[in-house]
Amino acid sequence: MSLTETLIAARSRRSPGLRGLLPRPDALLPYAVPAAILILWEIAGASGVISDTVMPRPSTILATAVQMTLSGELFTHLGVSALRALAGLVVGGGIGFILGVSNGVSRLSETLTDSTLQMVRNIPHLALIPLVILWFGIGEGAKLFLVALGVFFPIYLNTLHGIRNIDPQLIEMGRAYGMTPTQQFRRIVLPGALPSIFVGLRYGLGIMWLTLIVAETLSASSGLGYMAMKAREFMVLDVVVLSILLYAALGKLADSLTRALERRALKWSPAYAGR
Amino acid sequence: MQAVELLPRDITVPPMLRDNRGAAVSIRNVTRSFEGNRVLSNLDLDVRPGEFLSIVGKSGCGKSTLLRLIAGLDQPSSGEVRIDDRPATQAGDKLRIMFQEPRLLPWANVADNVAVGLRQGPDPQAVTEALASVQLADKAGVWPALLSGGQRQRAALARALVSHPSLLVLDEPLGALDALTRLTMQNLIRDMHAKAGFTAILVTHDVAEAVALSDRVIVLGQGGILHHVEILRVGPTQRGSAELAAIEAEILDAIFAA
Repeated sequence: MSLTETLIAARSRRSPGLRGLLPRPDALLPYAVPAAILILWEIAGASGVISDTVMPRPSTILATAVQMTLSGELFTHLGVSALRALAGLVVGGGIGFILGVSNGVSRLSETLTDSTLQMVRNIPHLALIPLVILWFGIGEGAKLFLVALGVFFPIYLNTLHGIRNIDPQLIEMGRAYGMTPTQQFRRIVLPGALPSIFVGLRYGLGIMWLTLIVAETLSASSGLGYMAMKAREFMVLDVVVLSILLYAALGKLADSLTRALERRALKWSPAYAGR
Repeated sequence: MQAVELLPRDITVPPMLRDNRGAAVSIRNVTRSFEGNRVLSNLDLDVRPGEFLSIVGKSGCGKSTLLRLIAGLDQPSSGEVRIDDRPATQAGDKLRIMFQEPRLLPWANVADNVAVGLRQGPDPQAVTEALASVQLADKAGVWPALLSGGQRQRAALARALVSHPSLLVLDEPLGALDALTRLTMQNLIRDMHAKAGFTAILVTHDVAEAVALSDRVIVLGQGGILHHVEILRVGPTQRGSAELAAIEAEILDAIFAA
């Protein structure tokens, strides 16, 4: 029994009623490092080691966050950014998934499209920004296009990879047991490719935020990136730091949601058993 | 000390007296070549309804190729395989195959995996019965990853038998199991065969297994059948008895003479 387990056991013996209310100490462990950083940062700011004009303190940023929340400004920007992210994810991820599936099951489809896609993949999608602004202006179309393009490739590649790596013995079993091609796809190919598709989704989510922030920083009149750029122009440092922290929180939230979804969908896998 | 009886008692029922649901298999003049290399050459073989036939031979002798032709997973280069007077590829769910690996769907629980064997939609009653017959009734809701090797093969057997096939084709299904689990599985297969009366064709490299299970053993080699042995069982036969040992020796001689 490890020290932590001993401590938990001792505590639960003393006050069993608290057990359900308090989170287990080991569940809090991942947050220990961020909490320590925040505390050190606050102390450094309060004691004047770090000037407020270089890096505002956590308490200042929190106050700004509360004030902007109450005025509604924060949620307007947050909502706009989240909606753009989601739209890009659905469009880019959807196309990536469909092409991944069709290239995974059809030799002809792959021959026709894969080498083209590999060429496009090697262009950093952010390099297209000047062209995209000329095509779409600085409206929503430009951001949607960039986010969708960024999300497309990880989902396409991982869907294709997942389908390619299905155990051919299972397909043969399905055939021998009289499954139609549709049934083989639904009952063998898709569930078999799912772990890989989730990997693609998690990669895609990272690229989704990155692309959106860059796009919003360059040209927008709303959204988190716009909020940060406007604050920079007026030298409002706490808002700049706040938007950076919000990116971190949003990224973590999206990742946690995907992991929860993954645990649910892949509960058959030994890799997730008992977690 | 009481001797452990390894073979079920009711195997003394001769094949022709069993519930006659077994399919007849007829293999006529079958040749199968791979890139000019003849694996099977003008092979003829008849399997009687309800018979348990084992195919043995050195590795590479074409026994798995022959089994895949019977199972309709492969086509002969010439000649034909007929099951109950229809081409093997049209056998549908009259024909079931058990592979060397369990080939269960990892993302479906045991009951859903067994239901794969039912073509006309889910039938919980049939699945429950099939699972009970392989002593897996308590594992219906379990993921295959949590089963032992023997339990996985039993689930695969339940999947093969849930549609009450008239021909069961077994491609070394016990090859990867440990010795004790093998014996239990052999008894289970023999027992199911005796009860349900399907025709069974087993490919194995274990001559003792072939002798313990079959009504007839054929030795395959040089593209054809080298040797036939009929095993007539009168009275409960003990594994390791002198008669069976003699038959085993005869088959091994035929394999090594090739």
